[in-house]
Amino acid sequence: MKPLFEERLRKLMPNEEDFQAFDKIVHTGPRNFIRCNTLKISPEELMRRLKEKWDVIQPYSEYPEIILINQDLLPGELGNSREHILGYYYVQEVCSMMSALALNAQRGDFVLDLCASPGSKTTQIASSMQNSGTLIANDLKMDRIAILASNLEKASVTNSVVTRNDAIQLCSKLSKSEFKFDKILLDAPCSGEGTLRSSPKTFLMWNPKMIDKLSRQQKKMLAYALKCLKVGGTLVYSTCTHAPEENESVMDFALKNFPVKIEEIKLPLKTRHGIIEWNNEVYDKDVAKAHRIYPQDNDSEGFFLCKMTLLDEIKDKGERK
Amino acid sequence: MNIQFIKSKEKQQIAGQLNEDFGISELNYLLIESGKEKIRGFSGSLSKEEIMKLGKLANIELIGAYLIKKESKTDLRLSFDACIILKDQITKNIVEIDDEKFNSWIRGNDIEVSGISGNPIVKYKEDFFGCGKSNGIKIFNYVPKDRRLRK
Repeated sequence: MKPLFEERLRKLMPNEEDFQAFDKIVHTGPRNFIRCNTLKISPEELMRRLKEKWDVIQPYSEYPEIILINQDLLPGELGNSREHILGYYYVQEVCSMMSALALNAQRGDFVLDLCASPGSKTTQIASSMQNSGTLIANDLKMDRIAILASNLEKASVTNSVVTRNDAIQLCSKLSKSEFKFDKILLDAPCSGEGTLRSSPKTFLMWNPKMIDKLSRQQKKMLAYALKCLKVGGTLVYSTCTHAPEENESVMDFALKNFPVKIEEIKLPLKTRHGIIEWNNEVYDKDVAKAHRIYPQDNDSEGFFLCKMTLLDEIKDKGERK
Repeated sequence: MNIQFIKSKEKQQIAGQLNEDFGISELNYLLIESGKEKIRGFSGSLSKEEIMKLGKLANIELIGAYLIKKESKTDLRLSFDACIILKDQITKNIVEIDDEKFNSWIRGNDIEVSGISGNPIVKYKEDFFGCGKSNGIKIFNYVPKDRRLRK
């Protein structure tokens, strides 16, 4: 781990035992979670089938679609089963499932998933909408769109419109149109500090200069995304990083510039409050309602998410005076 | 994407053909023609007019899911996923295969099944594994590459 990376993480986890637990777990591979695709099969039926080949459990009673394969698997085994070929489940880390749970899309909603590829959260949102309403799934590059399209196809998502646009340009155009969304997911491009277990190359690629650049980009994306929400609509912001500049700082920016409030949400994982101070910057106290997920708390990857509601029309350029 | 909605008269024809071939009785999708005679189905709430308006603001790449390959007016083949989506409605033109044939089929091979015509749906145990094309001797394989079992 690069010294500055470790220094920052230690600041987030000042308790030595806590940091040691983090440091230990990020050097191990992630557990094998899958999500039942309820557009095609019920969790009960999928469990019945999977029990014939694997030791499977449903760790969260309120969310039977979340399934843990509680045994070691051969490389590629999860992607080479009959049930996977049929699109009955999606291989997805449990943290990444939290964004769609927080969004809580319902039948008939009009939803925008702004940075949708590869589609794990998009397919989860479509499941909760039961293929009704409309789900706009956007991403920027053609290669990412191809992956997204393949995953939507496999999951039998029929209520989606896949668009290929720069997120800011898309929101800029949509905000001036009649299209206003009930719900928006902004799973923002980030430095990926939470993916150390599945992607150990992050240890090497970590670069502090990227964090500030990403933070500016994330704030801009959020500002434009908020303008596409209906009043009373909700937006979930999530990243797979621990960096406060990409998380709480972005939420603080929203609270200080837009008529939004941060919502309390209940999640099936152990989470920690958002931090309200970082590198001499003090954030709005409501930022504490955001959720930090640390790998050592749930034997998972790391994650951040926050749900906000738009309280009023955004006027002029959207920023309060 | 050049969005071409299938007109109601043609949709009726398609629905009628699917009913005749597979017993499918309901096709509650907005049908869109995409390239290579592929027909996609959209179950979302946006109307045709709204989709066209959205298309002026955004680059639309895809709408809904690929359901049908239209070889000709009367020759319709269901996509791999349409066989699963419409599973509860499919009552006709089903070919059940054994372990040996399944192991070959799901790896992308044609299988020998005589006495079948048209575009049969291949069933193994309780699941449908796509729709093939039969010449009376063989069923030709159309399982997409990314939906095949490896080794």
